[in-house]
Amino acid sequence: MGELVLNNVEKIYRPSRKASVHAVKTLNLIVKPGEIAALLGSSGCGKTSILRMIAGFEDVSSGTITLDGKPIHTLPPAGRNVAMAFETYSLYPPLTNGENIAFALKAQKLSAMESSGRVKAIADMLEISDILNKYPSSVSGGQQQRVSLGRALVRDASLYLLDEPMGQLEPRLRAVLRGRIKHYLRENKCTTILVTHDQTEANALADRIAVMEGGVLQQYATPAELKVRPANLFTGTFIGEPPMNVFFADVAAGGKTVIFTIDGGVTLAYPSAELSSDVRKLLSGNPRVGIGIRPHALHVGKGSIVGKVVACQWLGDQTHVAVEVGGRTVVSIVHDLLKAKTGSDIQLNVAAGDLHLFNPETGRAVAHGGDLA
Amino acid sequence: MTQLALKSVSKSFGAYKVFEDLNLAADAGEIVVIFGDSGSGKTILLRLIAGVQEPTSGTIEIAGRDVTDIAPEHRNVGMAFQNFALFPHMSALENIATPLIAQKAGAAAIRAGVDKVAKLLKIDHVLDHAPRELSNGQKQRTALARALAAEPRILLLDDPLRNVDAKLRFEMRIELPQLLRQTGATVLYVTQDYKEAMALGDRIAVLASGNFVQISTPEDIYLKPASLSVARLFGDPSINTSETTIEMNENTVCVRLGGVHIPIDNAYRPYVGDTVTFGVRPEAIELTGPKSTGLAAVVMAVTPLNERVVLLLRTAGSWEFLASFPSSSPNIPKPGANVKATFLSSGTHLFAQATGKRLHG
Repeated sequence: MGELVLNNVEKIYRPSRKASVHAVKTLNLIVKPGEIAALLGSSGCGKTSILRMIAGFEDVSSGTITLDGKPIHTLPPAGRNVAMAFETYSLYPPLTNGENIAFALKAQKLSAMESSGRVKAIADMLEISDILNKYPSSVSGGQQQRVSLGRALVRDASLYLLDEPMGQLEPRLRAVLRGRIKHYLRENKCTTILVTHDQTEANALADRIAVMEGGVLQQYATPAELKVRPANLFTGTFIGEPPMNVFFADVAAGGKTVIFTIDGGVTLAYPSAELSSDVRKLLSGNPRVGIGIRPHALHVGKGSIVGKVVACQWLGDQTHVAVEVGGRTVVSIVHDLLKAKTGSDIQLNVAAGDLHLFNPETGRAVAHGGDLA
Repeated sequence: MTQLALKSVSKSFGAYKVFEDLNLAADAGEIVVIFGDSGSGKTILLRLIAGVQEPTSGTIEIAGRDVTDIAPEHRNVGMAFQNFALFPHMSALENIATPLIAQKAGAAAIRAGVDKVAKLLKIDHVLDHAPRELSNGQKQRTALARALAAEPRILLLDDPLRNVDAKLRFEMRIELPQLLRQTGATVLYVTQDYKEAMALGDRIAVLASGNFVQISTPEDIYLKPASLSVARLFGDPSINTSETTIEMNENTVCVRLGGVHIPIDNAYRPYVGDTVTFGVRPEAIELTGPKSTGLAAVVMAVTPLNERVVLLLRTAGSWEFLASFPSSSPNIPKPGANVKATFLSSGTHLFAQATGKRLHG
């Protein structure tokens, strides 16, 4: 349970005879003791480079990485006290699954009883007790993935690096294991970095999520903050499923009413008092904005937004209603069974407090709800 | 009007029986989702209908005509696959035109047919692109356009969204039903994703161990699953289960969960003494404070899931279950909280342990 600090970390790959690639740009990140952080982004965003630099498989081009106040970026991987579960599992083929997990405990010089007790506890949690005597090659990908995860979690380490740890699991088991693993990491105060491209996984497990894109850290915040106060259009649309609805609009913020005229002709009007004076001032000088509305904030019922139902899809615990408004499709989510006929007219409304406003050129958030970003 | 009928269709490979006595009738313009785990035979079923494989016995009728012995190209069936399967050396236009060329249509008719379907699928601006120049979404649409170009009566779609990313899959899930309806074709849509099945299907045919175990509307299948295995296939997280028996306690019908008697509907009285699987959907669980009545449990972890929040709970008897709530719900308990759980009857089911069939309470 160490504190991990990345200070001005850069990674530039310079392959011979090819253009160099700036994979990670001036990254500053702190993972607090016992915190679960996620590195989230699509392929090529730099998350794997960061993981490899922390683990020691890759040098930093510049900057420092410290764990518990001690610089580790110059140490060999084995000297960093970092436990790791790989996306590719990387289990030792000649060892049984149980031996693979126990192998991680060798360096800790535990008694045989203590060691087997720990392996058993981890195996029970991950539901692999029945395959401990088998070899990795004779079990499924999902089982190998859990053995790999067990091998990382069973150790006492200063930091745990989990690379796409649950991609191969069937959905029911994944839902339960997310809960159990989160509980385990918290009970044992494990400082953890989870690397994933799946925003659902990151949201489920992490205390804070570092959203990466193009080698640049876009935002580092709690799942709740990312939803309520996305730093820019990228994080706003990357986090959340169904994704945030995005429009571009002209604003008139001079009078008693603030009016957004969305491209396509639909207007949203709010009493000026619902937006702070700072936001109104900002809008007066910037008559064009991007507007983001989360699907749960777009309410079906009465309202000034009128459209036609394109699809109304009930998924058992939620209904997704897609509505065509001014030539675009927007999605609203309702947590009950809602029946709306395709092609029928429907009214929607959104509170001023649920609007996310973005600079249309840079994509930076300028206001969330009535307040400045 | 029935457009496609499978009558007592069986298919074996040697001694291995894939299907036995399958029966299905789909109306004109209807979207029927064929849903099941991998290996349940979904793709083989489509191949039998397309005519690229023959059933061992039984008949297949299209528009009232027995086509079991008719060649694939004369069945009026279009098909698109999960891996796009576009010809790499042809442009999108040429790819889409192939079924029309196979029908020996004239040049003008081919162009008109391609333009019509390309416009519907919004790919008319990329018709001269080669497949490698298309985005995954455009490739998917091109494959779909090719399947639609000859205006088939029956359209077979084999997991077409499997290989596209989550965002595009969501967009297509919203858009597809409307597009498919505009074609007027009867659609058989294969998927392993229950959300896609519920979102797209007028009806869902659940395929398991060689037969349809339930064919019904998404609503029916979710709310009244025929069996425990069907109930488990739908929902994220899926239904919580526990083995128990139906008992009488102080004159009420109960099941025992973790040593506690949980009252259930009086309609289950005929089953008292039966060994059953108790099932409750995560969204049908209500949590209240430790002093109220219900099943005592501790919140082990809270894991957000998109617009909802999933809680892992554990009882003193070590029964683990998941409960889910809208993220916007007030007072979602925190990890470590002691709570009492009660179960809404709408999402609570009992299944006979011997057969797995749902008991009608």
